[in-house]
Amino acid sequence: MNELAALTLAFCRWCNDSFFGHAIRDSAWLFPFVEIFHLLALGLLGGILVLINMSLFGVRFGSGSTPELARELRPWMFGCIGVMLLSGFLLFSTEAVKMYGNWAFQFKMSLLLLAVLYTLTIHRKVIDSPRTAVGLRRLAAVISLLLWLGVGLGGRALGYVTTAASPPIGQ
Amino acid sequence: MILDSALVWLHDTSFGTVIRESVWAEPIIETIHVLTLGVFLGFVILLDLRLLDLVLRRTPVSTVFRQLNPWLFGSFGVMIVTGISLFAGDPVLFYGTIFFKLKMLMLLAAALNVVVFNFTLGRTMMQWDVLPATPRGARITGILSLVLWIAVVACGRGIAYVLPPP
Repeated sequence: MNELAALTLAFCRWCNDSFFGHAIRDSAWLFPFVEIFHLLALGLLGGILVLINMSLFGVRFGSGSTPELARELRPWMFGCIGVMLLSGFLLFSTEAVKMYGNWAFQFKMSLLLLAVLYTLTIHRKVIDSPRTAVGLRRLAAVISLLLWLGVGLGGRALGYVTTAASPPIGQ
Repeated sequence: MILDSALVWLHDTSFGTVIRESVWAEPIIETIHVLTLGVFLGFVILLDLRLLDLVLRRTPVSTVFRQLNPWLFGSFGVMIVTGISLFAGDPVLFYGTIFFKLKMLMLLAAALNVVVFNFTLGRTMMQWDVLPATPRGARITGILSLVLWIAVVACGRGIAYVLPPP
């Protein structure tokens, strides 16, 4: 576990000192510029998740079934997740070492990992098998929304905890 | 000027004072404002992409509108209420930034875009609904809407960056 922590910290240091970390940190407008992409993708991803999960919950969209709706929206969903991961990584790189000790950031990353894994496995499976029991479908929808909401709340929170004392970093 | 005194009045209301002085009000309201983007902006973008024939192609435009409308209006209400609340915290300061004025202008333009669409192509939607491709006017509306809402988001971010740190 100690090794993992050391490795993570080393990675954060590398990001912090990378050319993009420097470039975004030193520029007056690059950070908000990248943030706009993060927010736009957040909007679309949220809309797509609400639609798919409502359909899973039983609110039909148009005449299509849930698997059909999901098939149409999936490329956009993964596109949004991709944009968010990339822009998020760039934003992270501007203060990676600070983020290492930020509990809200750790919370967000843990939930993000869970949310992505869940979306790629269980959620996907439930969506694509229309014969799943209604209760299970609804449960799957609620879990998806809660996981992603948690990621969003963590994202909001990390901005407010940033100023809290960071752990000793050492050399 | 009337506007100046209105801004000062809003600043001095007990509502504005609570937002400004409470430790929790601003972060909570801003969190709601930002996360509601996940419904409002998401559905606006989906509608625009539908008008551009880029998504949900097999669902008629009118069906997409009908199903998304209640959510659009509901989430827009949340955006407006939380937005005004944040604004009330320091109206003079907000109004003094170029990005705030730009954001309001873009909002107005986006609203105008919706009104124009509703009075023109929106009225005949049932006629072009089932066509394999949406008419040119609908595509222009979609592109305009995308550009304007992206500008609204960008200006919103801009406001946060020109304000002095709390």
